[in-house]
Amino acid sequence: MQTNADKPELTLNPGVKSRPQYPPVSLNPAAQCQVFIARKNTTGDKAGALLKPLMDEAEKSEKSLNIIPLVVGEDGDVISMSQLPQTISSLPLASSFYLAGTEAFIWDVAKLICEAGFIMEQVHLLPPVNNERRLFCTHCYAITEPVTHSPAVCSGCGRHLLVRDHFSKIHRAYVGVQIDAEDPADLPEESEELC
Amino acid sequence: MSKSMIPVRVASVRDVAPKIREFRFTAVDQALPAFSAGSHVMVEMQGAEKTYRNAYSLMSDPADISSYGIAVRLQDESRGGSVFMHTQVQEGDVLNIAPPANLFAPHWAAKKHILIAGGVGITPFMSYLPEMKRRNADFELHYLYRSAQTGAYRQQLSEALGEKYFSYDSDHGQQCIVHQLLAQLSPGAHVYICGPESLIEAVKTEAATLGIPAGIIHYEEFAAPKPGKAFTVSLASSGQQIAVDGESSMLEALEEAGVEVANMCRGGVCGQCVTGVKEGIPEHRDDFLSAAEKASGQCVMPCVSRAVTDSLTLDL
Ligand code: FES
Repeated sequence: MQTNADKPELTLNPGVKSRPQYPPVSLNPAAQCQVFIARKNTTGDKAGALLKPLMDEAEKSEKSLNIIPLVVGEDGDVISMSQLPQTISSLPLASSFYLAGTEAFIWDVAKLICEAGFIMEQVHLLPPVNNERRLFCTHCYAITEPVTHSPAVCSGCGRHLLVRDHFSKIHRAYVGVQIDAEDPADLPEESEELC
Repeated sequence: MSKSMIPVRVASVRDVAPKIREFRFTAVDQALPAFSAGSHVMVEMQGAEKTYRNAYSLMSDPADISSYGIAVRLQDESRGGSVFMHTQVQEGDVLNIAPPANLFAPHWAAKKHILIAGGVGITPFMSYLPEMKRRNADFELHYLYRSAQTGAYRQQLSEALGEKYFSYDSDHGQQCIVHQLLAQLSPGAHVYICGPESLIEAVKTEAATLGIPAGIIHYEEFAAPKPGKAFTVSLASSGQQIAVDGESSMLEALEEAGVEVANMCRGGVCGQCVTGVKEGIPEHRDDFLSAAEKASGQCVMPCVSRAVTDSLTLDL
Protein backbone atom coordinates (compact mmCIF):
# COMPACT_ATOMS: atom_id res chain seq x y z
CA MET A 1 0.00 0.00 0.00
CA GLN A 2 1.14 3.39 -0.91
CA THR A 3 0.47 6.27 1.35
CA ASN A 4 -0.14 9.74 0.10
CA ALA A 5 3.08 10.86 1.65
CA ASP A 6 5.03 8.37 -0.47
CA LYS A 7 3.45 9.24 -3.75
CA PRO A 8 5.68 12.05 -4.94
CA GLU A 9 8.66 9.78 -4.34
CA LEU A 10 7.44 7.39 -6.96
CA THR A 11 6.61 9.79 -9.70
CA LEU A 12 9.31 10.66 -12.17
CA ASN A 13 9.05 14.24 -11.25
CA PRO A 14 12.39 15.86 -10.57
CA GLY A 15 10.52 18.95 -9.47
CA VAL A 16 10.02 17.51 -6.00
CA LYS A 17 12.70 19.41 -4.23
CA SER A 18 14.38 18.21 -1.13
CA ARG A 19 17.77 19.50 -1.94
CA PRO A 20 19.89 20.90 0.84
CA GLN A 21 19.94 24.67 1.04
CA TYR A 22 23.21 26.49 1.47
CA PRO A 23 22.48 29.85 3.04
CA PRO A 24 25.34 32.33 3.39
CA VAL A 25 27.85 31.30 6.04
CA SER A 26 29.18 33.71 8.61
CA LEU A 27 31.94 33.22 11.11
CA ASN A 28 30.99 32.14 14.60
CA PRO A 29 33.61 34.01 16.64
CA ALA A 30 32.40 32.47 19.92
CA ALA A 31 34.10 29.19 19.07
CA GLN A 32 37.66 29.01 20.31
CA CYS A 33 38.75 26.75 17.50
CA GLN A 34 37.97 27.66 13.88
CA VAL A 35 38.40 24.70 11.56
CA PHE A 36 38.43 25.17 7.77
CA ILE A 37 38.24 22.00 5.73
CA ALA A 38 38.54 22.06 1.95
CA ARG A 39 38.86 19.43 -0.70
CA LYS A 40 42.11 19.76 -2.59
CA ASN A 41 41.10 20.78 -6.06
CA THR A 42 43.01 19.91 -9.19
CA THR A 43 41.17 22.44 -11.33
CA GLY A 44 41.58 25.73 -9.58
CA ASP A 45 41.00 26.23 -5.88
CA LYS A 46 37.34 27.15 -5.69
CA ALA A 47 36.91 25.58 -2.26
CA GLY A 48 39.85 27.56 -0.89
CA ALA A 49 38.46 30.75 -2.38
CA LEU A 50 35.12 30.18 -0.65
CA LEU A 51 36.82 29.77 2.71
CA LYS A 52 39.28 32.61 2.32
CA PRO A 53 37.07 35.50 3.47
CA LEU A 54 36.00 33.56 6.57
CA MET A 55 39.61 32.69 7.42
CA ASP A 56 40.64 36.30 6.95
CA GLU A 57 37.89 37.40 9.28
CA ALA A 58 38.93 34.81 11.88
CA GLU A 59 42.50 36.04 11.71
CA LYS A 60 41.44 39.64 12.23
CA SER A 61 39.27 38.82 15.24
CA GLU A 62 40.42 40.50 18.44
CA LYS A 63 39.88 37.23 20.27
CA SER A 64 42.89 35.04 19.67
CA LEU A 65 41.16 32.24 17.84
CA ASN A 66 42.82 28.98 17.08
CA ILE A 67 42.66 28.69 13.28
CA ILE A 68 43.07 25.24 11.78
CA PRO A 69 43.10 24.90 7.99
CA LEU A 70 42.84 21.33 6.71
CA VAL A 71 43.15 20.44 3.05
CA VAL A 72 41.95 16.96 2.22
CA GLY A 73 43.45 15.05 -0.67
CA GLU A 74 45.64 12.13 -1.56
CA ASP A 75 49.11 13.63 -1.98
CA GLY A 76 51.73 13.98 0.69
CA ASP A 77 51.20 17.67 1.48
CA VAL A 78 47.62 17.28 2.58
CA ILE A 79 45.58 15.21 4.99
CA SER A 80 43.78 12.13 3.68
CA MET A 81 40.13 11.40 4.28
CA SER A 82 41.07 8.40 6.41
CA GLN A 83 43.21 10.54 8.72
CA LEU A 84 40.47 13.09 9.18
CA PRO A 85 38.49 11.37 11.95
CA GLN A 86 41.51 11.24 14.22
CA THR A 87 42.31 14.90 13.65
CA ILE A 88 38.70 15.91 14.23
CA SER A 89 38.36 13.95 17.44
CA SER A 90 41.36 15.75 18.91
CA LEU A 91 39.59 19.13 18.59
CA PRO A 92 37.90 20.83 21.54
CA LEU A 93 34.14 20.98 22.01
CA ALA A 94 34.18 24.73 21.35
CA SER A 95 34.99 24.31 17.66
CA SER A 96 33.29 25.70 14.59
CA PHE A 97 33.71 23.94 11.24
CA TYR A 98 33.54 25.43 7.74
CA LEU A 99 33.48 22.96 4.88
CA ALA A 100 34.00 23.55 1.16
CA GLY A 101 34.25 21.20 -1.78
CA THR A 102 31.91 19.03 -3.78
CA GLU A 103 28.53 18.36 -2.23
CA ALA A 104 29.36 14.71 -1.48
CA PHE A 105 32.62 15.76 0.16
CA ILE A 106 31.12 18.35 2.49
CA TRP A 107 28.42 15.95 3.65
CA ASP A 108 30.97 13.15 4.14
CA VAL A 109 33.06 15.43 6.33
CA ALA A 110 29.97 16.67 8.19
CA LYS A 111 29.18 13.06 9.03
CA LEU A 112 32.71 12.46 10.37
CA ILE A 113 32.40 15.59 12.50
CA CYS A 114 29.09 14.43 13.97
CA GLU A 115 30.47 10.97 14.62
CA ALA A 116 33.19 12.61 16.68
CA GLY A 117 30.43 14.03 18.91
CA PHE A 118 30.01 17.52 17.49
CA ILE A 119 26.56 18.68 16.38
CA MET A 120 25.36 20.14 13.07
CA GLU A 121 24.97 23.55 14.71
CA GLN A 122 28.79 23.67 14.67
CA VAL A 123 29.13 22.69 11.02
CA HIS A 124 28.84 25.30 8.29
CA LEU A 125 28.54 24.10 4.71
CA LEU A 126 29.58 26.41 1.90
CA PRO A 127 27.78 26.02 -1.41
CA PRO A 128 29.11 23.04 -3.40
CA VAL A 129 31.88 24.05 -5.80
CA ASN A 130 30.32 22.34 -8.84
CA ASN A 131 27.27 20.44 -10.05
CA GLU A 132 28.71 16.98 -9.45
CA ARG A 133 26.35 14.70 -7.63
CA ARG A 134 26.70 11.38 -5.93
CA LEU A 135 23.93 9.08 -7.09
CA PHE A 136 22.34 6.32 -5.08
CA CYS A 137 20.56 3.64 -7.08
CA THR A 138 17.27 2.71 -5.44
CA HIS A 139 17.32 -0.63 -7.25
CA CYS A 140 20.78 -2.08 -6.56
CA TYR A 141 21.97 0.44 -3.92
CA ALA A 142 25.19 1.11 -5.79
CA ILE A 143 26.78 4.52 -5.67
CA THR A 144 27.74 6.28 -8.88
CA GLU A 145 29.80 9.43 -8.83
CA PRO A 146 30.39 11.97 -10.08
CA VAL A 147 27.18 12.43 -11.99
CA THR A 148 26.51 15.65 -13.89
CA HIS A 149 23.72 14.60 -16.26
CA SER A 150 20.36 12.96 -15.95
CA PRO A 151 19.59 10.24 -16.76
CA ALA A 152 22.79 8.55 -15.66
CA VAL A 153 23.90 4.97 -16.01
CA CYS A 154 24.14 3.14 -12.67
CA SER A 155 27.65 1.83 -12.05
CA GLY A 156 26.17 -1.18 -10.28
CA CYS A 157 23.30 -2.50 -12.40
CA GLY A 158 23.61 -0.45 -15.58
CA ARG A 159 20.07 0.86 -15.36
CA HIS A 160 19.35 4.32 -16.65
CA LEU A 161 18.54 6.38 -13.63
CA LEU A 162 16.64 9.59 -13.45
CA VAL A 163 18.57 11.79 -11.04
CA ARG A 164 15.99 13.12 -8.65
CA ASP A 165 16.36 16.30 -6.68
CA HIS A 166 15.89 14.34 -3.50
CA PHE A 167 19.08 14.30 -1.44
CA SER A 168 19.22 11.47 1.06
CA LYS A 169 21.15 12.52 4.16
CA ILE A 170 21.61 8.89 5.13
CA HIS A 171 23.38 8.01 1.90
CA ARG A 172 24.64 11.55 1.40
CA ALA A 173 23.61 11.10 -2.21
CA TYR A 174 20.83 11.90 -4.64
CA VAL A 175 18.30 9.23 -5.29
CA GLY A 176 18.18 7.67 -8.75
CA VAL A 177 15.19 5.77 -10.09
CA GLN A 178 14.98 3.75 -13.29
CA ILE A 179 13.66 5.85 -16.12
CA ASP A 180 13.10 3.19 -18.78
CA ALA A 181 11.21 0.60 -16.80
CA GLU A 182 9.07 -0.37 -19.78
CA ASP A 183 11.89 -1.23 -22.11
CA PRO A 184 15.40 -1.17 -20.63
CA ALA A 185 16.89 -1.43 -24.10
CA ASP A 186 15.30 1.83 -25.12
CA LEU A 187 17.85 4.53 -24.46
CA PRO A 188 16.47 7.89 -23.51
CA GLU A 189 17.24 10.52 -26.05
CA GLU A 190 17.62 13.62 -23.99
CA SER A 191 20.19 14.06 -21.35
CA GLU A 192 19.81 17.03 -19.13
CA GLU A 193 22.67 18.77 -17.45
CA LEU A 194 22.15 18.98 -13.72
CA CYS A 195 22.44 22.18 -11.81
CA MET B 1 -9.46 17.97 29.11
CA SER B 2 -8.15 16.96 25.73
CA LYS B 3 -6.43 13.89 27.13
CA SER B 4 -8.24 11.34 29.19
CA MET B 5 -7.25 11.54 32.80
CA ILE B 6 -6.12 8.53 34.80
CA PRO B 7 -7.24 8.12 38.39
CA VAL B 8 -4.40 7.14 40.74
CA ARG B 9 -4.29 6.27 44.41
CA VAL B 10 -1.80 7.95 46.70
CA ALA B 11 -0.02 4.87 48.04
CA SER B 12 2.50 6.68 50.19
CA VAL B 13 3.55 10.14 51.28
CA ARG B 14 6.87 10.92 52.90
CA ASP B 15 9.14 13.88 53.48
CA VAL B 16 12.43 13.56 51.67
CA ALA B 17 13.82 17.02 52.49
CA PRO B 18 12.63 19.83 54.77
CA LYS B 19 10.52 21.33 51.96
CA ILE B 20 10.11 18.36 49.63
CA ARG B 21 7.49 15.68 49.92
CA GLU B 22 7.43 12.51 47.86
CA PHE B 23 4.21 10.90 46.66
CA ARG B 24 3.80 7.38 45.26
CA PHE B 25 0.85 6.73 43.00
CA THR B 26 -0.61 3.34 42.15
CA ALA B 27 -3.31 2.32 39.70
CA VAL B 28 -6.98 2.48 40.64
CA ASP B 29 -8.81 0.76 37.79
CA GLN B 30 -6.49 1.07 34.81
CA ALA B 31 -2.81 0.12 34.65
CA LEU B 32 -0.32 2.96 34.71
CA PRO B 33 1.08 3.63 31.22
CA ALA B 34 4.74 3.03 30.47
CA PHE B 35 6.93 6.12 30.41
CA SER B 36 10.42 7.06 29.35
CA ALA B 37 13.18 8.71 31.38
CA GLY B 38 12.53 12.44 31.77
CA SER B 39 8.72 12.24 31.51
CA HIS B 40 6.32 14.28 33.56
CA VAL B 41 2.67 14.00 34.48
CA MET B 42 0.13 16.70 35.08
CA VAL B 43 -1.61 16.27 38.41
CA GLU B 44 -5.07 17.66 38.97
CA MET B 45 -5.92 18.83 42.47
CA GLN B 46 -9.45 19.68 43.48
CA GLY B 47 -9.07 22.57 45.88
CA ALA B 48 -11.97 24.07 47.76
CA GLU B 49 -12.07 27.13 45.54
CA LYS B 50 -10.45 26.01 42.37
CA THR B 51 -8.78 23.17 40.57
CA TYR B 52 -4.99 23.22 40.42
CA ARG B 53 -3.08 21.51 37.65
CA ASN B 54 0.66 21.20 38.01
CA ALA B 55 3.22 19.27 35.98
CA TYR B 56 5.65 17.10 37.95
CA SER B 57 8.54 14.99 36.70
CA LEU B 58 8.23 11.28 37.29
CA MET B 59 11.10 10.33 39.54
CA SER B 60 10.64 6.61 39.60
CA ASP B 61 12.41 3.98 37.49
CA PRO B 62 10.81 3.74 34.02
CA ALA B 63 11.30 -0.03 34.17
CA ASP B 64 8.91 -0.27 37.12
CA ILE B 65 5.40 0.93 36.38
CA SER B 66 3.80 -0.67 39.40
CA SER B 67 3.85 2.86 40.78
CA TYR B 68 4.77 6.42 39.81
CA GLY B 69 6.77 8.70 42.06
CA ILE B 70 6.75 12.49 42.14
CA ALA B 71 8.40 14.90 44.55
CA VAL B 72 6.88 18.28 45.29
CA ARG B 73 8.68 21.24 46.73
CA LEU B 74 6.62 23.55 48.86
CA GLN B 75 6.90 26.79 46.91
CA ASP B 76 7.29 29.97 48.87
CA GLU B 77 5.18 31.89 46.40
CA SER B 78 2.86 29.05 45.61
CA ARG B 79 -0.40 29.84 43.97
CA GLY B 80 -1.81 26.85 45.75
CA GLY B 81 -0.74 23.69 43.95
CA SER B 82 2.25 22.79 46.04
CA VAL B 83 0.55 23.91 49.25
CA PHE B 84 -2.37 21.67 48.38
CA MET B 85 -0.07 18.71 47.76
CA HIS B 86 1.73 19.32 51.05
CA THR B 87 -1.26 19.98 53.27
CA GLN B 88 -4.26 18.25 51.74
CA VAL B 89 -3.10 15.10 49.99
CA GLN B 90 -2.94 11.99 52.14
CA GLU B 91 -2.34 8.29 51.71
CA GLY B 92 -5.38 6.60 50.22
CA ASP B 93 -6.60 9.70 48.37
CA VAL B 94 -7.44 9.43 44.69
CA LEU B 95 -6.11 12.07 42.29
CA ASN B 96 -6.42 12.43 38.54
CA ILE B 97 -3.32 12.66 36.40
CA ALA B 98 -2.77 13.12 32.67
CA PRO B 99 -0.79 10.33 30.98
CA PRO B 100 2.99 10.88 31.01
CA ALA B 101 4.55 13.08 28.35
CA ASN B 102 8.24 13.64 27.76
CA LEU B 103 9.85 16.96 26.92
CA PHE B 104 13.18 16.15 28.52
CA ALA B 105 14.41 12.83 27.19
CA PRO B 106 18.15 12.09 27.27
CA HIS B 107 19.99 12.15 23.95
CA TRP B 108 21.08 8.57 23.99
CA ALA B 109 23.58 9.09 21.19
CA ALA B 110 25.66 11.35 23.45
CA LYS B 111 29.05 10.04 24.51
CA LYS B 112 28.69 11.56 27.95
CA HIS B 113 25.77 13.00 29.90
CA ILE B 114 26.31 15.83 32.37
CA LEU B 115 23.29 16.15 34.64
CA ILE B 116 22.93 19.36 36.62
CA ALA B 117 20.15 19.43 39.21
CA GLY B 118 19.13 22.39 41.33
CA GLY B 119 17.03 21.52 44.41
CA VAL B 120 13.84 19.69 43.49
CA GLY B 121 15.20 19.66 39.92
CA ILE B 122 16.75 16.33 40.90
CA THR B 123 13.44 14.62 40.08
CA PRO B 124 13.73 14.00 36.31
CA PHE B 125 17.24 12.68 36.84
CA MET B 126 15.92 10.13 39.31
CA SER B 127 14.25 8.50 36.29
CA TYR B 128 17.34 8.99 34.09
CA LEU B 129 19.76 7.28 36.44
CA PRO B 130 18.48 3.69 36.45
CA GLU B 131 18.14 3.88 32.67
CA MET B 132 21.66 5.27 32.28
CA LYS B 133 23.01 2.43 34.39
CA ARG B 134 21.17 -0.17 32.34
CA ARG B 135 22.54 1.29 29.13
CA ASN B 136 26.01 1.65 30.60
CA ALA B 137 25.96 5.31 29.65
CA ASP B 138 28.75 7.58 30.82
CA PHE B 139 27.40 10.32 33.05
CA GLU B 140 28.03 12.67 35.95
CA LEU B 141 25.46 14.11 38.31
CA HIS B 142 26.05 17.58 39.73
CA TYR B 143 23.56 18.28 42.48
CA LEU B 144 23.13 21.81 43.83
CA TYR B 145 20.89 22.22 46.85
CA ARG B 146 20.33 23.96 50.16
CA SER B 147 20.30 21.35 52.87
CA ALA B 148 18.00 23.46 55.05
CA GLN B 149 15.28 23.17 52.38
CA THR B 150 16.07 20.73 49.62
CA GLY B 151 18.69 18.07 48.90
CA ALA B 152 16.37 15.06 48.74
CA TYR B 153 17.91 11.63 48.13
CA ARG B 154 21.48 12.85 48.44
CA GLN B 155 22.59 10.04 50.74
CA GLN B 156 21.17 7.42 48.42
CA LEU B 157 22.62 9.13 45.33
CA SER B 158 26.07 9.45 46.78
CA GLU B 159 26.10 5.76 47.71
CA ALA B 160 24.73 4.58 44.39
CA LEU B 161 26.80 6.79 42.11
CA GLY B 162 30.16 7.04 43.86
CA GLU B 163 32.60 9.14 41.87
CA LYS B 164 29.95 10.06 39.31
CA TYR B 165 28.26 12.14 42.01
CA PHE B 166 29.17 15.73 42.85
CA SER B 167 27.22 17.67 45.43
CA TYR B 168 27.17 21.34 46.31
CA ASP B 169 25.33 22.39 49.46
CA SER B 170 25.05 26.15 49.33
CA ASP B 171 23.91 26.19 52.96
CA HIS B 172 27.44 25.00 53.69
CA GLY B 173 29.09 27.40 51.31
CA GLN B 174 29.79 24.82 48.62
CA GLN B 175 29.67 26.36 45.17
CA CYS B 176 29.50 24.77 41.79
CA ILE B 177 31.83 26.61 39.42
CA VAL B 178 29.87 26.30 36.21
CA HIS B 179 32.78 27.61 34.16
CA GLN B 180 35.07 24.80 35.31
CA LEU B 181 32.39 22.23 34.79
CA LEU B 182 31.76 23.28 31.19
CA ALA B 183 35.35 24.08 30.22
CA GLN B 184 36.42 20.47 30.67
CA LEU B 185 33.73 18.97 28.44
CA SER B 186 34.79 17.16 25.30
CA PRO B 187 32.90 16.58 22.03
CA GLY B 188 29.99 14.19 22.44
CA ALA B 189 29.02 15.55 25.85
CA HIS B 190 25.45 16.70 26.38
CA VAL B 191 24.38 18.82 29.34
CA TYR B 192 20.97 18.59 31.04
CA ILE B 193 19.79 21.10 33.58
CA CYS B 194 16.71 20.97 35.73
CA GLY B 195 16.29 23.63 38.34
CA PRO B 196 15.48 27.27 38.84
CA GLU B 197 15.69 29.71 35.97
CA SER B 198 18.79 31.33 37.48
CA LEU B 199 20.72 28.06 37.27
CA ILE B 200 19.62 27.41 33.71
CA GLU B 201 20.59 30.96 32.71
CA ALA B 202 23.98 30.66 34.41
CA VAL B 203 24.81 27.50 32.48
CA LYS B 204 23.55 28.87 29.17
CA THR B 205 25.49 32.10 29.56
CA GLU B 206 28.70 30.31 30.50
CA ALA B 207 28.31 27.92 27.57
CA ALA B 208 27.89 30.82 25.17
CA THR B 209 31.00 32.52 26.55
CA LEU B 210 33.01 29.34 26.12
CA GLY B 211 31.77 28.85 22.56
CA ILE B 212 29.95 25.64 23.44
CA PRO B 213 27.08 25.05 21.01
CA ALA B 214 23.66 25.79 22.47
CA GLY B 215 22.33 22.55 20.99
CA ILE B 216 24.10 20.37 23.56
CA ILE B 217 22.53 22.22 26.48
CA HIS B 218 19.11 20.84 27.38
CA TYR B 219 16.97 22.12 30.19
CA GLU B 220 13.63 21.83 31.82
CA GLU B 221 12.05 24.37 34.00
CA PHE B 222 8.54 24.03 35.21
CA ALA B 223 8.01 27.62 36.01
CA ALA B 224 4.67 27.89 37.68
CA PRO B 225 2.71 30.64 35.97
CA LYS B 226 3.37 33.86 37.82
CA PRO B 227 0.50 36.04 38.95
CA GLY B 228 -0.29 39.35 37.27
CA LYS B 229 -3.09 41.81 36.85
CA ALA B 230 -6.61 40.58 36.21
CA PHE B 231 -8.06 40.77 32.70
CA THR B 232 -10.91 39.40 30.63
CA VAL B 233 -10.76 36.87 27.84
CA SER B 234 -13.43 36.79 25.17
CA LEU B 235 -13.91 33.89 22.81
CA ALA B 236 -14.17 34.91 19.18
CA SER B 237 -16.57 32.09 18.30
CA SER B 238 -19.19 32.59 20.99
CA GLY B 239 -18.45 35.99 22.45
CA GLN B 240 -18.25 34.34 25.88
CA GLN B 241 -16.41 36.47 28.45
CA ILE B 242 -14.15 34.81 30.97
CA ALA B 243 -12.52 36.67 33.84
CA VAL B 244 -8.90 35.80 34.62
CA ASP B 245 -8.08 36.82 38.17
CA GLY B 246 -4.59 37.88 39.16
CA GLU B 247 -3.71 34.54 40.71
CA SER B 248 -4.96 32.26 37.94
CA SER B 249 -3.39 31.60 34.58
CA MET B 250 -5.38 32.20 31.41
CA LEU B 251 -5.34 28.43 30.78
CA GLU B 252 -6.74 27.73 34.23
CA ALA B 253 -9.49 30.30 33.75
CA LEU B 254 -10.41 28.79 30.38
CA GLU B 255 -10.50 25.29 31.85
CA GLU B 256 -12.54 26.50 34.78
CA ALA B 257 -15.06 27.85 32.25
CA GLY B 258 -15.15 24.50 30.49
CA VAL B 259 -13.12 25.57 27.44
CA GLU B 260 -10.67 22.92 26.29
CA VAL B 261 -7.21 23.98 25.24
CA ALA B 262 -4.59 21.36 24.41
CA ASN B 263 -1.70 21.53 26.84
CA MET B 264 1.21 19.51 28.07
CA CYS B 265 3.91 21.33 30.04
CA ARG B 266 1.81 24.17 31.46
CA GLY B 267 5.08 26.05 31.70
CA GLY B 268 5.40 27.84 28.37
CA VAL B 269 7.87 25.49 26.71
CA CYS B 270 6.11 22.73 24.78
CA GLY B 271 4.00 24.79 22.39
CA GLN B 272 0.87 22.66 22.78
CA CYS B 273 -1.40 25.41 24.03
CA VAL B 274 -0.71 27.99 21.31
CA THR B 275 -3.85 30.01 20.68
CA GLY B 276 -4.65 32.71 18.14
CA VAL B 277 -5.28 36.27 19.28
CA LYS B 278 -7.90 38.35 17.48
CA GLU B 279 -7.87 41.50 19.56
CA GLY B 280 -5.91 42.93 22.45
CA ILE B 281 -2.19 42.77 23.24
CA PRO B 282 -0.76 39.69 24.92
CA GLU B 283 1.91 39.88 27.59
CA HIS B 284 4.18 37.04 26.52
CA ARG B 285 5.87 35.06 29.27
CA ASP B 286 6.67 31.83 27.45
CA ASP B 287 9.85 30.29 26.07
CA PHE B 288 8.17 28.84 23.02
CA LEU B 289 7.23 31.60 20.60
CA SER B 290 10.00 33.33 18.66
CA ALA B 291 10.66 37.01 19.21
CA ALA B 292 8.99 37.74 15.86
CA GLU B 293 5.90 35.73 16.75
CA LYS B 294 5.67 37.51 20.07
CA ALA B 295 6.00 40.88 18.42
CA SER B 296 3.25 40.05 15.91
CA GLY B 297 0.82 39.62 18.79
CA GLN B 298 -1.13 37.08 16.75
CA CYS B 299 -0.76 34.17 19.12
CA VAL B 300 -0.30 33.53 22.80
CA MET B 301 0.57 30.66 25.14
CA PRO B 302 -2.26 30.81 27.70
CA CYS B 303 -0.53 28.47 30.16
CA VAL B 304 1.82 31.24 31.30
CA SER B 305 1.12 34.42 29.36
CA ARG B 306 -1.31 37.16 30.23
CA ALA B 307 -2.63 40.39 28.70
CA VAL B 308 -1.32 43.92 28.58
CA THR B 309 -4.75 45.19 27.59
CA ASP B 310 -7.80 44.80 29.81
CA SER B 311 -9.20 42.22 27.50
CA LEU B 312 -7.93 39.70 25.00
CA THR B 313 -10.04 38.11 22.27
CA LEU B 314 -8.90 34.58 21.54
CA ASP B 315 -9.50 32.59 18.40
CA LEU B 316 -11.44 29.93 20.27
S1 FES C 1 1.17 23.97 27.69
FE1 FES C 1 3.20 23.87 27.01
S2 FES C 1 3.48 25.85 26.22
FE2 FES C 1 1.55 25.99 27.12
